[in-house]
Amino acid sequence: MATKIYDVCIAGSGAAGGVLAAHLARKGVDVIVVEGGPKVNTRTDFNTHAMPFDFPDRHIPTMRAGKEGFDSERTRGVGGKTMLWNAVAWRLSHRDFKGRSIDGAGEDWPLDYADMAPYYERIEREVGVCGNLDGLEDLPDGIFLPPVPMKCSDLIIKRGAEKLGVKTIHVRKSTRSVAGGGRPACHFCGNCMAGCDVVAKYNSADVHMIPALRTGKLEIKPNSIVREVMVSNENRATGVRYIDRKTGAGGEVRARCVVVSCACVQSVALLLMSKSRLYPTGLANSSGELGRNFIPHFTGGVECFLDELTGKPATDDEGFLDHAYIPSFMHNRKRDYARSFGVQFNYQNRRSVGWAREIHGFGKTYKQAVKDRYPGFVVFSPYGEMIPNSASYIDLDPDRKDSYGLPKARRFLAWRENDRKIFQDMQQWSVAILKSAGAEIHRVYDEPMPNHELGGARMGSDPRRSVVNADCRTHDVPNLYVVDGSVFPSASEKNPTHTIMALAARTADNISDRLSRRDI
Amino acid sequence: MAAVKAESRREALRIIGAVGSTCAFPFGADQLYGQQAGHAPGGRFFDAAQMETLAKLTDLIIPPTETAGAARSGVPEYIDRVVSVEKEHQIVFRDGLAWLDRQATSAHGKVFRDLDEEQQIAMLTPLCEAADSNQLKKPGARFFRSLKSMTADGYYTSRTGLVDELGYKGNMAMAGFPSCEVKEH
Repeated sequence: MATKIYDVCIAGSGAAGGVLAAHLARKGVDVIVVEGGPKVNTRTDFNTHAMPFDFPDRHIPTMRAGKEGFDSERTRGVGGKTMLWNAVAWRLSHRDFKGRSIDGAGEDWPLDYADMAPYYERIEREVGVCGNLDGLEDLPDGIFLPPVPMKCSDLIIKRGAEKLGVKTIHVRKSTRSVAGGGRPACHFCGNCMAGCDVVAKYNSADVHMIPALRTGKLEIKPNSIVREVMVSNENRATGVRYIDRKTGAGGEVRARCVVVSCACVQSVALLLMSKSRLYPTGLANSSGELGRNFIPHFTGGVECFLDELTGKPATDDEGFLDHAYIPSFMHNRKRDYARSFGVQFNYQNRRSVGWAREIHGFGKTYKQAVKDRYPGFVVFSPYGEMIPNSASYIDLDPDRKDSYGLPKARRFLAWRENDRKIFQDMQQWSVAILKSAGAEIHRVYDEPMPNHELGGARMGSDPRRSVVNADCRTHDVPNLYVVDGSVFPSASEKNPTHTIMALAARTADNISDRLSRRDI
Repeated sequence: MAAVKAESRREALRIIGAVGSTCAFPFGADQLYGQQAGHAPGGRFFDAAQMETLAKLTDLIIPPTETAGAARSGVPEYIDRVVSVEKEHQIVFRDGLAWLDRQATSAHGKVFRDLDEEQQIAMLTPLCEAADSNQLKKPGARFFRSLKSMTADGYYTSRTGLVDELGYKGNMAMAGFPSCEVKEH
């Protein structure tokens, strides 16, 4: 029997892979998604509504222990990280795409806001993003469902921030604030990152891929860990090789076009592993840039207790975690660094009290001190933009292999002067805003912590300095694409997933156009 | 303003792997011992006498008030589970409990759990002060910090601690999120 040749093979099923798969299938393209982890059912596979005391070791509710094969570190599973994300959805702005032209640091995208706006809109219509129309230049509005009211604690912080001339807005999330599209409205149980059991929060399996199965054009192949993208001597990607997660057996999927969407670090690792005669240092790495320009967001953090809520009775204010956001306010202020930061806050919930151990004393006064502070606890988390540097990169560990015998990816990070300056400033601003709001500062994190992984296969117009072009197509191989956070040449300070999904929608258009023109 | 303490910083560094590679759990959750213990098996590190001392100690840290204290909320059993899976904790607790009994015996001629409560509080007060002020080289301070941290973790993740004591009200389906009014200042 002849091996089936698909039009498109997508490695990975998260925010990028899921959107691509659905969009291509709906256009009549024959698509296969190859995913390393198992199928996940958000309604039954998570412990969404469990409490810590439901478990003898009091762990925080997450995927059921019986869900064999779900890798929570790399989030292998159909739906990828969209199963566990917090669903914050921002459009990037002109300033984010053209940062280098504006302040001279980092790199411009080869795209601008006008190129992306129609795709942001398309994703918003499909996904359902709640938010307010704020009219901000640096945080463009979109097509939004009604915003969710802010919490009391948000309003206290908002009032404090206003005194310093800093604006607080409603968060924007890919979580339905009203029912629609066959999905219910959020019920505010406060456990978004342990899987949403009603799919009010977007995930790529339930919202994009499963409905697209009806086209008959989409096939999902779970439990298949892609270990290599195959490339012919004629410099064409011909498909992928995978390892069956359950049996360890090898296999191949063949396709006219290959998309790598395994999320930043794993996508870079897959390309680095895909060595061949044409590409001895990794596939699509003629520039030598593959793995370089790793630019995760870095977060600071301040934990505090709001005076106004201290000693008050606890209320049910977990909601859908953070309800408010402080967008970057530094662009028009004097500062001695490039780029900026934004602040997510109040995304702790009220069922973990990890701070209690740090309250001084013991006995009755200690017990009362914890109780008094409990309703006012808030974590304030500024997110800063990192400028790429030569000491921050992803590579393959030459010695250590994972349980499938594949080399482990390593991540190296060094904070440079600009990053440090942003970190200092965002921490100082955070403390100032919280003090202005009336807060007992509990803890100020003294080191930046990496978050959202971005970069490593950056997009650019110069093939000597970047891995993919503005269409997410590799400069080196004309039928190979990379779509996920790895292509970001600049990170901005904003959560990346909404942009990853818009890029996937744009890439789907590009691939289907080329297929119909027989250009692939 | 409290800077991150030395031990907390070490814990924060441990968190980075998780935060950097996947979605972070809400802050404060990552550092719970139970979370880090990797879903501990049965426990049973401590013998009956040690468990009795632990019950006394945890109740001194979080005593019964209008709500139950630590001992009746499963905290000694929680600590036993957490300690049973990590060598480092085992050394701290084994040595700490033995040291406490030696101190008690030399001062009062009885092991710690047999002292009256006033004597017990008097013995713990300097340990707590040293732990709170991060003077971990002082005798008993490291042990007390581990003990207090695990007691707090265990108690405030128990139904008694979280629901009865703190008044946790969440995890309910709401038809809509309520608006709030905040006074102008």
